[in-house]
Amino acid sequence: MRAATDVGGTFTDLVYYEVDRATGQSGQVRIAKVDTTPPNFEEGVVGSLAKAKISPADLDFFAHGATVVINALTERKGVKTALITTAGFRDVLEIARGNRPDLFNFAFHKPKPFVERHLRAELTERTNYKGMIERPVDLSPLPDMIAAFKHEGVEAIAIVFLHSYINPQNEQLAVDRIRKLWPEVSILASHAVSREWREYERTSTTVLSAYVHPIAERYIGTLEKKLSDQGFAGKPFMMQSNGGITTARAAKANPITMVESGPASGIFAAAYVGEAIGYHNLIVLDIGGTTAKCTLIEEGQVKVTTEYYIERDGKNPGYPIQTPVSDIVEIGNGGGSIAWVDVGGKLHVGPHSAAARPGPAAYGHGGTKATTTDANLVLGRIDPASFVGGEREPDWKAVDAAFAPLQLALDMSREEVARGIIRIANANMTRALRLVSTNKGHDPRDFSLMAFGGGGAMHAVALAEELKVPHVIIPVNSSVFSAWGMLLTDLRRDYLRTRMVPLASGSSSLIRDIFGELESEALNDYSDEDQPLTRQDIAFEYLVDMRYAGQQHTVKVPCTGANVGRIDIDATAASFHAAHEKRFTYRLDSAIELVNFHLVAKLVVPKPPLSPKPKTGRALADAIKGQRQVDYDVHGVHTATIYDGLLLEPDMEFHGPAVIQEPSVTCVIPPRHRVTIDRLGNYHIHLSFVEEA
Amino acid sequence: MTTNIFTLDIIKDSLVAVGEEMFQAMLRTSMSPIIYEGTDFAVGATDATGNLLAQGNGVAAFLAALDTAVVSTLDHHDLDEIKPGDVFITNTPYEGGGTHLSDVAILIPVFHETTLIAWTVNKAHWTEVGGAQPGSVSSSSTEIYQEGLRFTFIKLYEEGRINQALVQVIRDNVRLPDSTIGDMHAGVAAARVGEKRILELVAKYGAPMVLQAMDELLDYGEKMTRAALATIPSGVYEAEDIIEDDGLGNGPFAVKIKVTITGDRLIADFTGSAPQAPGPVNTTYAGLLTGARCLFKAITDPGIPANGGCFRMLEVVCPPGTVLTAQPPAPVSMNFQARNAAVDVFWKALAPVLPQRLPAGHQQSVCATFISGLHPDTGELFVIGEPLVGGWGACHDSDGDAGQFCSSNGETYNIPCELFEARYGLQVAQYAFHDQDGGAGEYRGGKGVVLDYRVTAERAFLTYAAARTSSRPWALSGGQEGSNNYAEVRRHGGDVERFGMCTTVPVERDEVIRIYTATGGGYGDPRRRPRELLEKDIKNGFVTTAQATRDYGYEPA
Repeated sequence: MRAATDVGGTFTDLVYYEVDRATGQSGQVRIAKVDTTPPNFEEGVVGSLAKAKISPADLDFFAHGATVVINALTERKGVKTALITTAGFRDVLEIARGNRPDLFNFAFHKPKPFVERHLRAELTERTNYKGMIERPVDLSPLPDMIAAFKHEGVEAIAIVFLHSYINPQNEQLAVDRIRKLWPEVSILASHAVSREWREYERTSTTVLSAYVHPIAERYIGTLEKKLSDQGFAGKPFMMQSNGGITTARAAKANPITMVESGPASGIFAAAYVGEAIGYHNLIVLDIGGTTAKCTLIEEGQVKVTTEYYIERDGKNPGYPIQTPVSDIVEIGNGGGSIAWVDVGGKLHVGPHSAAARPGPAAYGHGGTKATTTDANLVLGRIDPASFVGGEREPDWKAVDAAFAPLQLALDMSREEVARGIIRIANANMTRALRLVSTNKGHDPRDFSLMAFGGGGAMHAVALAEELKVPHVIIPVNSSVFSAWGMLLTDLRRDYLRTRMVPLASGSSSLIRDIFGELESEALNDYSDEDQPLTRQDIAFEYLVDMRYAGQQHTVKVPCTGANVGRIDIDATAASFHAAHEKRFTYRLDSAIELVNFHLVAKLVVPKPPLSPKPKTGRALADAIKGQRQVDYDVHGVHTATIYDGLLLEPDMEFHGPAVIQEPSVTCVIPPRHRVTIDRLGNYHIHLSFVEEA
Repeated sequence: MTTNIFTLDIIKDSLVAVGEEMFQAMLRTSMSPIIYEGTDFAVGATDATGNLLAQGNGVAAFLAALDTAVVSTLDHHDLDEIKPGDVFITNTPYEGGGTHLSDVAILIPVFHETTLIAWTVNKAHWTEVGGAQPGSVSSSSTEIYQEGLRFTFIKLYEEGRINQALVQVIRDNVRLPDSTIGDMHAGVAAARVGEKRILELVAKYGAPMVLQAMDELLDYGEKMTRAALATIPSGVYEAEDIIEDDGLGNGPFAVKIKVTITGDRLIADFTGSAPQAPGPVNTTYAGLLTGARCLFKAITDPGIPANGGCFRMLEVVCPPGTVLTAQPPAPVSMNFQARNAAVDVFWKALAPVLPQRLPAGHQQSVCATFISGLHPDTGELFVIGEPLVGGWGACHDSDGDAGQFCSSNGETYNIPCELFEARYGLQVAQYAFHDQDGGAGEYRGGKGVVLDYRVTAERAFLTYAAARTSSRPWALSGGQEGSNNYAEVRRHGGDVERFGMCTTVPVERDEVIRIYTATGGGYGDPRRRPRELLEKDIKNGFVTTAQATRDYGYEPA
């Protein structure tokens, strides 16, 4: 039995399937949902197994996506953390980058640092930018410093020295001494968190990882214990933000790698499914209750970046996290986003959300504001008879009460307001999709839109019409895609290293050597925990961030030939020029510099093939639930055919106006678009503007 | 198509998004760090007559730089001379859109069939436009002619054909022709992105509906701003301040304002400000208007995207020939000095009645710092030019922000020390809040920083220009004034030289350039600061015990 759980704001999702130990054949993928159980999230995890009647003793593989890190950060529930820096630089954490995205707000306040100034201490030491130690670290102040930290109730310490990304020696000496003096404290040195330059970003990341360190350690430890008490013989794997899983031990050592694990696994699952059915260029959209997240997959490759922030938006610089995270754009538009009218009489949707509680008005939990979900219900897109999986009746009185003030402000009927809400929500999401596609030099017509999450199937086709994406894919298990994705990923570690090297024939051996060092490090890290490995056991990917000399911005491309130990400078340069031109519209004759080396090291987890959806030879008519009036906004109101998604079979085909319903998925298909079902059971919507062209 | 109002809303949002998309395009296409890292540019669209529809901004300093450039273009050219495929270029400071010569505007008229329906505009700081000083920024010019090439609403493209003669003139008169011509093409490319998006909207919704959405967008801006303006108490508010120096040793120069607010109108009258300065710290009326709009936006609704409708209630008055309304051939290279002073005095006049929007005075200056020399490893010339962060004033309910760029910056980033040291022949020896006197109050002014550059090159040259080098950021409601911006050169022998403005001062290896940025002004009587907050300040080192005793009346328990 292989299983994965993903803890969401409302539900904890379990996805699991049997594997025949003799034949290796996999069984049907099944799912279970239980309520999320804050603050003891592991109870929901164990509870989901119980609900599915799975004994942990039967598990061969168990992966887990925890929200404990992001929750501790956003709710400011980490531990009291101290910071030790190079003398003269303790205020870097508070000065940050000095930017004010909210340009005309003169009462602007930048976000507060996670470590107060009196807990930011300094040691005399200096490494220069070439990695030479100019001053060895003076450790003599440490005993007094630690006494002061203890007195203040500090539980974790972050250490960040300048240029430690190139030479961590002084940091390491300080860590070793502190461990001797105070073995119980959580301690993280920046070189163990990031080996890239930019001291503010590295400081912020190290501080945040230290801040959540004792909490993550406790959480993972409790989960391990509960599972092993119930007979689980293996070790759980933890989902990371880079789209791979890692051991519990590695996750405990540097918990910030788990910060965005949920979205990452969904995106990597999209790439995996796309690969399996032959679609390598995807715009990926995950619409949840409060936000929509999107990213772009090109040639099957998910972009992983270390330029990630939490709490960043158009008005807030947020906090940088320099750890590998799948590159996503997130906007405050989900099913629970609230519609409101400003003093200028303009309708807005989001970014405020009714969240899980009280939720949309129709849930009847006291929600008084109209949300996108309520609008979808009013327009007949959501089936009132199977609202929330058929578990409850929509609270129409609450819906009417929520729409009334909007109708008054706009002087419109309920349906007109609902149409406006959908149209504006779609326009917001279209803009986010443009950010990841057209604004980065991609033509949406070369892509398919793969949508999942609670609201993905609801809005996907309308968004594809707007963006002129010819083809939409709604994957199987789209409502539990993040949990399912964990069963499709490998063990993955990313090694990034800032080293300035000219891309020239004379540099080949140096480039080779640097990658060699990273390979050894990866081998060492993996071998540490499992049986001894050789290089051949690990799948390596060699990437480099490069730029034109004199420029600042870099582009990430594969380092050609690194896998066979012979760097192909010309081919690497050629892919840089091409990638640069795509991203920034021009190429230059200038020299090229390598800035960051990026080695991806994967231990491939055996995955049984995706199982095809069984075909019984059922007639299409037998999958029809009925018909109802659905308001397709610009396409008008139509009598739509309602299909039961569970009864649809491979090779079936039909046209809109239609709605496909599953217990937690509603896929809205306007007139004329053609729908097909592939062998795995994924829905494909082929847009009419292509077919009729 | 049903529910037109939402379609119109979506067209309006799409027009606003045009500004953002052009902004992204400019970031993508520019080859100049001052544009893609410093974001020293603005892009946007206007309607056919030059009403601003949308603007994408990296800094706050360009709010009147696009639309007024369109209006002046229409003054210089009859409608029948403006044809599809034309591209206009201008950088004259003395007319619409003007700031200084380094900021060059590119304008594209957008046609639907044969009708002019809109303009897309780009205004960006070019790395080089020629003139007496490398980088075209000077603290010593006495006439515009020393500051670089001047273009006055001329055609860069005529019906799709580039004006090769003009391109050659530019190429021959700047120090970094490839970079400058690259900036020019990036400007055209960004403006074309806007043109393309507007024409896509016209193709999808039809010209009449797009034009209606433009009008409604402007009315919406007016409506939102009018509602905000109505909450500001009517009255007459006055303030006075100075520009300390013009770079040539003249000054101070008075800057005065009388603000009259009458419910639905705000008149900012700068009459009485000093005559234009001999040195290049002047701004022209266009720059003054940009500054005034920036403050007006801050006090009305900073949240909604700016458009022309937002400024219909603002009137900016100042007779020609002052330091804020300089006339040709006055030098304007460091126009930000006068513009920032104008914003600051406007701010100072209104802060007492708008405490929720306006804190006490801040460092005011971009604290422009230029250091050049030969890199010790490569022997190549390095030139660093950067603005610096400083302290903002205290608010009526909170301490001022510490270590922020000044009001005319915005989405501006400091350079990480680790990148800085690799690139330049300097080592950063500290980057920290300082504890100089200033900014005490019931709420404290935000801290300025102290920054030490130890020279690792054989020799480096410092050029520096700031405001508030002898005057101080103003306080509110009985708080204490802030501290000064200034630079020091700390010599081998122990001598310390102090500068408020200087040009190419030589500094030898292992000598230190130390720069202080101002702490912002305080708010309220320091003696009213709650004891527990003050004790926390002492613990955090934001207030020294000496300051606590003297300024706050603190007595240790």
